[in-house]
Amino acid sequence: MAFDIDRYTSTSKKVQWGDLDFTEFERNPLPDATLRSLRYMADVEYHTVCYLRDLLVTPSHKEVDVSAFMTMWNREEFWHGEALAKVLGAHEVTLDFDQLKATRLKLGWKDRLDPIKQSVLGNVIGKDFIAVHMIWGAANEWSAVAAYNRLADLEKHPVLSELLRRIAKQEARHVAFYATQARERLAKSKKAQVLARLALKGAWGPVGSSIMPADEVTHVMGHLFSGEEGLREIRKLDEHISRMPGLEGLTIVETSMKKYGVAA
Amino acid sequence: MPRSIEVALDDMSIPAPDFDVRAYANDAHASYRDLLDLEAYASQPLSSDTVRALRYLQVVERGTMTHLRSVLVTATHKDARVTAFLITWAFEKYWIADALDQIIRANEGGTVDRTPFRTPVERTIRESIVANIVGLPMVAVHTALGTVDEWLMQAAYRRLIELEPHPQLADIVTRLLATKSRQLQFFEAQARHRLGESSRAQKVTRRRLAKTPWPIGARAEPSQNTEFFFRYLFGSQPSAITEIDELIDTLDGQNNLNLMKRAAAL
Repeated sequence: MAFDIDRYTSTSKKVQWGDLDFTEFERNPLPDATLRSLRYMADVEYHTVCYLRDLLVTPSHKEVDVSAFMTMWNREEFWHGEALAKVLGAHEVTLDFDQLKATRLKLGWKDRLDPIKQSVLGNVIGKDFIAVHMIWGAANEWSAVAAYNRLADLEKHPVLSELLRRIAKQEARHVAFYATQARERLAKSKKAQVLARLALKGAWGPVGSSIMPADEVTHVMGHLFSGEEGLREIRKLDEHISRMPGLEGLTIVETSMKKYGVAA
Repeated sequence: MPRSIEVALDDMSIPAPDFDVRAYANDAHASYRDLLDLEAYASQPLSSDTVRALRYLQVVERGTMTHLRSVLVTATHKDARVTAFLITWAFEKYWIADALDQIIRANEGGTVDRTPFRTPVERTIRESIVANIVGLPMVAVHTALGTVDEWLMQAAYRRLIELEPHPQLADIVTRLLATKSRQLQFFEAQARHRLGESSRAQKVTRRRLAKTPWPIGARAEPSQNTEFFFRYLFGSQPSAITEIDELIDTLDGQNNLNLMKRAAAL
């Protein structure tokens, strides 16, 4: 099914939380393990702009629909960061712009080389590289939907769970865009399929693992995806990905979760 | 990371003076579609010159992702305050370009232009390498570029409705100018602050401003379109161009560049 970009842009909103009673967190505060996971999620959401940067150095951004999507998507993710920062703030955990800058600074030279690497790759390989970005984006957004819904289920908190479901709903619209794009582009090109397989198998990691310390990745992924129910979620993610043209049999999510010690 | 660069980057925690990025992000202007009153153009269409100028403005406004690209590959992207601003700025610009596109199509007919953007790709790698060596002053460079571009673009919008004071167009352009004025506040406050702090930033900025084809985005456009833009909007009122150059002169270390006089070639 085609993705209606016009409809998406005209209904893109920042996630709403003004109607939620944040004083509930005083009566019913969240446990530390949850705050730690939320902190990670907020960092990752705010970091979207850096991911956007890596997309922009490739030919992807020249396409009108992709460019329109990226504008809205980037803003929605920023507001997810703001919403989660607000929840953290209610527990006296501050996450301000200067701390975000500190995370970005820690990435150092690796981060500076990324756009160059991506630019070289993207411009040499050309259009097929867009397909890689799209499936990569789809895998990340599927993971995000699963993560937010999982945390909402685990926590069953009247305010947090509602907020997380609202965020997950927006992430689901991002999935729709990325998955539609990925499917079309992969179906059209054998070379794109080979590239996508190679990239996902060789380089994909849980969302945030390229920017957050390994300990934090292990905590969050263990918190959300351990146990049998977690494994079911993980396998669902792999099913989504492996249903894409040319990506049959991939189990990148399960493999990478094992790498971070997440066990059923 | 070499220590000198780490220290330099750390200086970037200068807050945006007198500008609350969160409040700005919170009040961002979204779609103008409900305000456009497009039927009005059926009985009172715009002149073909106005439509052509609108098309140029639209192409330049929608080029945000290209501009963001050259900003984000530099150390500027580390500053979360600047990126929070830019995310919102891109969102607002998207809707400005959309409003212009709707008006153009109400006058000309036709469907949404889906041809890929024209962008000079090959510069990115060089840009990234240069900017990362240059380090800190890039925030000054980028916000100064934003400031000068806003001065020019806002003058262009004002001239557009002076030349053709069509009531519906004038109403929308006035709204667009209000949105753009707030963007300018951020760029200008940042640029003045950062240029005032560092003579190195002044020098790097000066070199970049002198090399930039105006308005930002003109590089990717056929030169006859840019010539038309300046000739049509400013040809009968070159003082508007002089005024922008005088404003640029007030930025620390940027006097006598005559950027607009040279770009307009009037």
